[in-house]
Amino acid sequence: MDALRAKLRSLWLRVWGTRQIDNDFDAELASHIALHTEDGMRAGLSRQEARRQAFIRLGGAEQVRQAYRERRTLPWIEELLQDVCFGLRMMARNVGFTAVAVITLAIGIGATATAFTWIDAVLLQPLSGVKEPNRLATVESVTSNGEWVPNSYPDFIDFRDRLKLFDGVAVSHMAAFSVGKENHAERVWGELVSGNFFAVLGVKPEAGRMFLPSEYGDVPGAYPVAVISDRYWRSHYGADPSIIGSTIRINQHELTIVGVAAPEFHGSIPVTSFDLWVPYMEQPVLNGVQLWMLRDRHDRNMLGIARLKSGVTFDQARLELKTLADRMAIANANVSEGMSATLLPLWKSPHGPQGLLVGPLRVLMGVCVLVLLIVCANVANLLLARATVREKEFSARLALGATRGRIARQVLTESLMLTGCGALLGLAATPWMSHALRLLMPPSPMASLVSMNTRPNFAVLAFVAGICIVTALFAGLVPALQVGRLNLSAKLNAGGRSGTAGRARNRLRSTLVASEVALALVALVGAGLFARSFQQTLRIDPGFDPNHVLLSQFYLSTNGYNLAQRKEFCRRLEERMLAAPGIVDVAYSDGVPLGFEPSWWEELKIEGYAPRPNENMNIFRNVVSPGYLPLMRIPIIDGRNFTDQDNENAPNVMIVNEAFVRRFFAGRSPIGKKIHGWGSWFRVIGIAKDSKYHYLGESTPAYFYVPFRQVFREDMNLAFYVRTQGDPENALASLRVQTRAIDPNVTVVDAAPLKEFIGASLYPQKIAASLMTVLGGLALLLAAVGLYSVMAYSVAQRTQEIGVRIALGAQLGHVLRMIVMQGLALTLAGLAIGGVLVIGLARAVASIEFTNSGMGLNARLLGDGANSPLIYLGSAVFLCIVGALAAYLPARRAARVDPMQALRAE
Amino acid sequence: MGGKTDVWQGTLALMVLKTLQMMGPQHGYGLARRIEQTSGDLLELNYGTLYPALLKLEQEGYIRSRWGSSENNRKAKFYELTKAGERQVRKAAAEWEQTTEILSRFLEPNAEA
Repeated sequence: MDALRAKLRSLWLRVWGTRQIDNDFDAELASHIALHTEDGMRAGLSRQEARRQAFIRLGGAEQVRQAYRERRTLPWIEELLQDVCFGLRMMARNVGFTAVAVITLAIGIGATATAFTWIDAVLLQPLSGVKEPNRLATVESVTSNGEWVPNSYPDFIDFRDRLKLFDGVAVSHMAAFSVGKENHAERVWGELVSGNFFAVLGVKPEAGRMFLPSEYGDVPGAYPVAVISDRYWRSHYGADPSIIGSTIRINQHELTIVGVAAPEFHGSIPVTSFDLWVPYMEQPVLNGVQLWMLRDRHDRNMLGIARLKSGVTFDQARLELKTLADRMAIANANVSEGMSATLLPLWKSPHGPQGLLVGPLRVLMGVCVLVLLIVCANVANLLLARATVREKEFSARLALGATRGRIARQVLTESLMLTGCGALLGLAATPWMSHALRLLMPPSPMASLVSMNTRPNFAVLAFVAGICIVTALFAGLVPALQVGRLNLSAKLNAGGRSGTAGRARNRLRSTLVASEVALALVALVGAGLFARSFQQTLRIDPGFDPNHVLLSQFYLSTNGYNLAQRKEFCRRLEERMLAAPGIVDVAYSDGVPLGFEPSWWEELKIEGYAPRPNENMNIFRNVVSPGYLPLMRIPIIDGRNFTDQDNENAPNVMIVNEAFVRRFFAGRSPIGKKIHGWGSWFRVIGIAKDSKYHYLGESTPAYFYVPFRQVFREDMNLAFYVRTQGDPENALASLRVQTRAIDPNVTVVDAAPLKEFIGASLYPQKIAASLMTVLGGLALLLAAVGLYSVMAYSVAQRTQEIGVRIALGAQLGHVLRMIVMQGLALTLAGLAIGGVLVIGLARAVASIEFTNSGMGLNARLLGDGANSPLIYLGSAVFLCIVGALAAYLPARRAARVDPMQALRAE
Repeated sequence: MGGKTDVWQGTLALMVLKTLQMMGPQHGYGLARRIEQTSGDLLELNYGTLYPALLKLEQEGYIRSRWGSSENNRKAKFYELTKAGERQVRKAAAEWEQTTEILSRFLEPNAEA
């Protein structure tokens, strides 16, 4: 304790130490010498000899003084303060230089910090408001061919009850709820969750309580309770604590609000905010789901999340889960044959928006590093140029006894100050730049759900501080090293002349320019490739016609409709809409092609087809009304379409796509063949042309259609399509009128032109392309500015040389050509380096698949665009032009100077 | 051991504190001479290193200084132990004794064996 206090006391005194006691110590030294001298004289030495001895034993008065001074204060703090003061003066004196450097740095650091904020929110801390997120993991079922799919409720029960290495497994299912009385109900997005959901995640209540262990059970309809979000509580109840225990009307059923979740908690899907949590066992009550569906292992619609016991490693837990799932697959071979399960880190979950964001974010981070590197090169160049101007100052200081290290430290301090200012500016811009991510989200019902914690947190601050220091070192190191090479006598002897930079300095600057060109090439080619790949994808024919179609989604279960009522509603709405003016076609279905939401599948048995061992027989499907294929303009190439006669009482029928025929019937006609699904046999009546189902870039999967009236179930969605003659938005009004005429309590929400809606499938590519274009442009701009300033600077330094050449009779054009050629040579060298770099990078990026869920196989961020010589060539030529201009413009200005003037300036 | 020995790093502080405890207030030169005498003139102090060491002890609050007059009426700066210094001498001395005791066990020719 004493020792620590003594250390602190000493530190305090040294930092704030008095600086005026030099005289005091001088007096003490004098007294020491006097005492020693007297002693010596007493021993018989002469006064002079005694004094000499005293000084010898002391070890030199000046050295002692220095040691004493260094002990009295902390010398490095003093020097730092001096450096900072000096740096501030330098910055204030060169406002232009400071502004350019700081703004450049702010752009680079701001962009990188923004990218990191996104990565932090999406990948590093995907869930907020949960306890110990590092022990949470996603539980995914794995199909026999290795695709990841959600879990069924019975599988969840097995996981929950039998896994030993977990503190709990929970499941959730995202759902839209209608809250309030019939005629002014409001759509609220929430999650249907297992009772232990909050316990597993470790979410604390803001008010009231979370679900109790007595509510963890599996009894359908036994837990009429709900938890609301803090956001909803504040916006709808004014944060009134007395609402705990009151009822809330959800899908026309009364549930009791038992608690409010902590404000930081937004649900179990990253980047998404939910407002309502209801036990999954209320599903039969709220949505009319049949009880057998809850027990059906085929009904895989639950996202699983598990908490590992502390001390258990990820691999141990995954092994236990896999072992259990493999045993379950054998025990339930009739439904789960070949299935397994695995554990994924939260950010790897393929569901929800972050599944789409992972790929683009990786690319984004790479581009940001690129931009930051260019910024470093720019600032290093600027500092280098400044260092040349200040060479005489440095030489003078060296001559006066400053060490080279001391001056190098001064240069680094200044570069750190510049970077610090840039970082502060960049950090200030980060919060609103982060919001841009929301603008890039596709238009869909879920767009309103996207929310992200973009407040700079500790991780972001630490990251910015880190890149700030790294940047300062990168940018400051080269100029600082230059100080070490200063040739003192040569500089001082140069007298008043500001001679041209030495050869070493020129080589250094050339290297910087070349690397800047290389980086710019990478950025430019990258932007070009992504934009082109995006263009190519846009040109892919989806196989259906999304123009002039209005899409609207209905949540009839939230109106308390049973299955028969829903079908009846659809039939009547179709009838009425067909009669409305300007309407060409009407149809409805379960799934929407190329949508943001997942597509579902059914496990099939096909007559006459023997599946290979472990072949995945879960085939994607859509449940459609007879009008669907004609409305989408998907041609029937063989057989017939569904008709109204294919109803509940008629034999089950099915239409398959061409890929289906190729895969299961080896191209022979399937018409009349029998296929088993949903517990009964279907007869194939037609073949539909292939179209795109999940992503435009996908390779077409086997796909089939079944009639709405025969297969539609309580847990399916309902999408309603209206094809119009003109603008589909015009049909919205009549859709509203007709809906109200059937039932005033049903509201039309989330209506959008299909064309816009399917944009969602382009989202990963769109975000990658737009970010690359913006950042690529930025990188190019920065590189061009850097290139120009460096060229301009080095040409300006050669003004005298040019003057001399012209005075000696050189032709203006000749001189110009020489300088431009030298600039071009540098640019070409940079292009060569950049070319090698970018070809390698493009290969690496092209292999990034942006989704690993069962949907969208082979969908890539970069399509075939990765090998497009035109883009490489175009970028190279463009950079050559920039390089030549950057050399030509300053050279022309220099050449215009009157030779006499240039010579006199000597 | 032939000739005179330099002062080991870190032991100077203890010597200063101990000397001040035994002899009361001392000026820098007196302190240096006293330390050499106590060592039986086996130690040879570099006087220049003494003053930064004194400053360090003063900063740490173990000693304090004031100007006064020497025995033959010369102005000199006198150092004396503070309360914290007293405690520190006891503590450091105990630590040092323990260290030397442990070391001596290693160096004794016929320990235990």
